[in-house]
Amino acid sequence: MPDTVLVVGAGPTGLSAAAGIAAVGKKVVLVEKENILGGAPIISGYARLVPSGEWAKDAIGRMVGRVEANPAVTIHKNAKVAQLDGEAGRFTATLTNGQTISAGAIILGTGFTHFDSINKPEWGFGTFEDVVTTTQVEQMVAAGRIACPSDGRVPERVAILLCVGSRDRQIGREWCSKICCTVSTNLAMEIKELSPKTDVFIYYMDIRTFGLYEDKFYWKSQEEFKTKFVKARIAEVTRAPDGRLLLKGEDTLVKRPIVIPMDLVVHAIGMDPNLENPQIAKVFGVGLERHGFLDRGEHYTNTFSSTRRGIYVGGAALGPEDIDSSISHGLAMALRAVGDLGALDHQAA
Amino acid sequence: MTIHEKTLIDPDRLLTSDKLVVDGVDVSGQWNTMILPRTLKDYDPDFQNVIERYGGAENVHRCWQCGSCTNSCTMYALNTDFNPRYWIYLTLLGLKQELLKDRDIIWQCVSCNKCTNICPKDVRPEGVMKALAHWIEDEGYREKSHSSLFDEEFTRQCLDRGRIEDTELMTRFFRDTRQSLVALVRRGWLGVFVARMGKWPLLAEGHLAKFLARVPVAGPVRMLAHRLFKPRTQSWGRTGEVLRQYVQEQKEAAHA
Repeated sequence: MPDTVLVVGAGPTGLSAAAGIAAVGKKVVLVEKENILGGAPIISGYARLVPSGEWAKDAIGRMVGRVEANPAVTIHKNAKVAQLDGEAGRFTATLTNGQTISAGAIILGTGFTHFDSINKPEWGFGTFEDVVTTTQVEQMVAAGRIACPSDGRVPERVAILLCVGSRDRQIGREWCSKICCTVSTNLAMEIKELSPKTDVFIYYMDIRTFGLYEDKFYWKSQEEFKTKFVKARIAEVTRAPDGRLLLKGEDTLVKRPIVIPMDLVVHAIGMDPNLENPQIAKVFGVGLERHGFLDRGEHYTNTFSSTRRGIYVGGAALGPEDIDSSISHGLAMALRAVGDLGALDHQAA
Repeated sequence: MTIHEKTLIDPDRLLTSDKLVVDGVDVSGQWNTMILPRTLKDYDPDFQNVIERYGGAENVHRCWQCGSCTNSCTMYALNTDFNPRYWIYLTLLGLKQELLKDRDIIWQCVSCNKCTNICPKDVRPEGVMKALAHWIEDEGYREKSHSSLFDEEFTRQCLDRGRIEDTELMTRFFRDTRQSLVALVRRGWLGVFVARMGKWPLLAEGHLAKFLARVPVAGPVRMLAHRLFKPRTQSWGRTGEVLRQYVQEQKEAAHA
């Protein structure tokens, strides 16, 4: 009988699941398509994480180290699952590197894809060098300097546009990406820390810093770091003759059109379904929900089930999710998978 | 509940020339009506700091525009142009020109403090209204209010002489507020004053001597004397000078 769980994806969800399974004495095969572990926070070079304030490379680095050091975890990098045979309790997975894995249960922590801002051309990404994404600003913060990519100057005025690739029926993103408000208010504070003279403006439709993020991020950025919040959805980003960027839109609270100069415009990009979800759904025989994320089964008594027995799905593969929740999902799925292995042992006895 | 609506065309952005000829075509009158664009071009990020240095407005940056202040406002109930939430937003973004459009009503805050009691972020909008009113006066965007003129004269006399001379205070107040004392008397002001002291019945009943006996004489005489000689409080010395300097220092420290 297999005493192994196959975990797909080595981001916060997968790393947490792998560590949980190994901790109760079962074996894990961890498959990661990239050549490094850690998922989006490591691959995209995030700076400080919400809400702990720890550097991503330290916090997620510990998760990676814990799994790598565990002899019960076998890791396959640069690999994907090419084919899956069998059923719950006795799956056989064939990897793209030719390996064959027998597993009693499967955990999908296949995560998300950052929204590609090129799909909102009116906001200037790809047209103007000084229009960047939150991911790029994370990298700037991690490197310790905020600068305009065009000429390296420190920006006097930074605009963060919320809901880029979220809550937008026009481009089929009918969801809130959940974390961008908090990430943006956090970045506003980090920008101010690196460059106290910079004025940061956040253009919003709503502010959704849920739960305890309200005062720790939204209020703090406004009250202590003097971030300005403007209720406007920007219509377009253009360039002034002096090279500065111009935001055009309507300030809905003043009921006035605005054309405001900025040095750096930041897109708070949302979380798209993993681009590979159609293949993932096909290979693993699981369903997709209507936005393109992986679909879930009954949650109350069959927690973190996918639409196929023996396969669990959690983290940002289910929909926009924060890192802390993804880690909890991973551990919960570990319990489900280990429970399945235990049931198999019981039947065999 | 009235919904706050602003007209999209302000009268001051409408341009009409009585006589205008463009390329030989006479477009006088209504034909040349133009509307200036109402686009906001820039923010003044320092404006918020300027207002925060006035006592009472220290928390203005906390506002998240829920509108509780406006909804609870005594003045808003009378005049929907009186909108504390809106002015706080303009302050945060530094939209001074927009704010100055309401320069003639901002001072009308009656300090009922309902806004300050209801505000979920402790912005203390009542203090912000006072700060804005003071800023508008300090920058000369509006004539000094009657109460400011009164305060200034009151303070000046206190500091100069350690005491107030009612006659001098009132005559100077009427002068500074360009109210003619003679006109006020003519309009029956003195008569109302005397009537309220309850003297008219004596006169109406024909008791002229009693009436005159009860009309104040000694007081006005003393007031007139003080108007001429201007006594100071005993041993006032340099007290006023020192106080004046202290107040000046405090002001400079607050607005540094």
